[in-house]
Amino acid sequence: MKCKDVNSKLIFFLDEELPATEMQAVKEHLAGCTDCALFAEDMKKTLSILETEKTPELNPFFYTRVKAKMESQEVEQVLNHRPVLVRVLQPLAFSIILLIGIYAGIKLGATGTTSKTKTVLAEQDMIPYWNELDAEPIESFLME
Amino acid sequence: MSDIEIIEQLKQGNEQAFRKLVESYRKLVVNTCYGLLHNREDAEDVAQDVFIEVYRSVDSFRADAKLSTWLYRIAVNRSLNHIRDNKKHRWFSLFESDVKTENKKLLQVESSLTDQPEFELENKQRAIILHQAIGSLPEKQKVAFSLSKYEDLSYQEIAEVMELSVSSVESLLFRAKKNLQKKLYTCYKKKCM
Repeated sequence: MKCKDVNSKLIFFLDEELPATEMQAVKEHLAGCTDCALFAEDMKKTLSILETEKTPELNPFFYTRVKAKMESQEVEQVLNHRPVLVRVLQPLAFSIILLIGIYAGIKLGATGTTSKTKTVLAEQDMIPYWNELDAEPIESFLME
Repeated sequence: MSDIEIIEQLKQGNEQAFRKLVESYRKLVVNTCYGLLHNREDAEDVAQDVFIEVYRSVDSFRADAKLSTWLYRIAVNRSLNHIRDNKKHRWFSLFESDVKTENKKLLQVESSLTDQPEFELENKQRAIILHQAIGSLPEKQKVAFSLSKYEDLSYQEIAEVMELSVSSVESLLFRAKKNLQKKLYTCYKKKCM
C-alpha cells in the first residue's frame, strides 16, 4: 500500500471502519513508514479531542436560567403585542400635541412682542403716579 | 416519570414535568448544540431556547414520535440558525472584530501556559484546528458528523433526526470524514500547530 492510499484511509482506519484486509495493510504500512506513522499519531491525538468534549460540565443553574429567559421573553411578547391602534395612535397623538404646542408657542410669542411694547410704554406713563420713589428721589423725600 | 407522562403533563402546563424534562435532557441538548457551535456559552444559550420552544410547542408533538428525536431536531435547527445569524453578522462586521476574536482565542491558549502543563496548550490548539475543520464542512455533513461523534448516534438514529435515508447518512458521513481528513492533512503538512 502506498503512502497516498494510507493517508486517504487513515480516518477510517482510526475509526476501525475498514475491512479486515485493509486494516491489516494499513497497520503494516504504518509499522514501516515513519512519515505516515507520525501523521497517524497526530490525527489520532486531534480526533481524541472529540472524546474529551463529550462529557461537558453541566451548569447547575441551567433550569433557573431557562425559566428566567422564558419569563423575560413573555414580558417582551406582551409589550410587542399591544394593539396596533395603540402602537400607531399613541405616537400620532404625541406628535399632534407637540405640533399644537409649537404652534401655540409661536403664536403666543408673536402676540407677546406687540403687547410687550405697549405694556412697557403704559408702565412708563404710570410710573410717576404709581411709584413715587422713581419720580421723587429718596433724599428729597427725607428732606421734606 | 416516562417520556409519555412528561409530555402529557407538560401539555397540561405542569411545571414539575418541565423541570424533569430539562433535567433529563439538558446534557443531550447542550452536547448536540456544542457539537455544531463549539462554544460552551453559545451552546447553553441555544439549549435554553430549545427547551423554551419545546414548552411552547408541546401540543404539536405527535405521541408516536420519540421525544429525543424531536429534541435533537430542534437543537440542530436552532444551532444551524445561530451559525447562519453569526455569519450574517460577521459579514457586516468589521475585519477588526474577527482579528479580536482570534486574538482572544490565542490569549486564552497562552494564559493556560502559565498554570497548566504543556499538553493542555497542545490540546487547546488541536481543539481549535479540529473545530475549524468541522466548522468548514458543508451543513449536512457537519450535522451528521457531530451527531455521530458527539452523541454516538447510529446511522438509523441520525437518519430519523435528519429525516433522510440511512444510505444518505452513510454517504454524508463518508464525505464528512474524507473532507475532515483532507483538511487535517493540509494543516499537518503546513505545520499549522
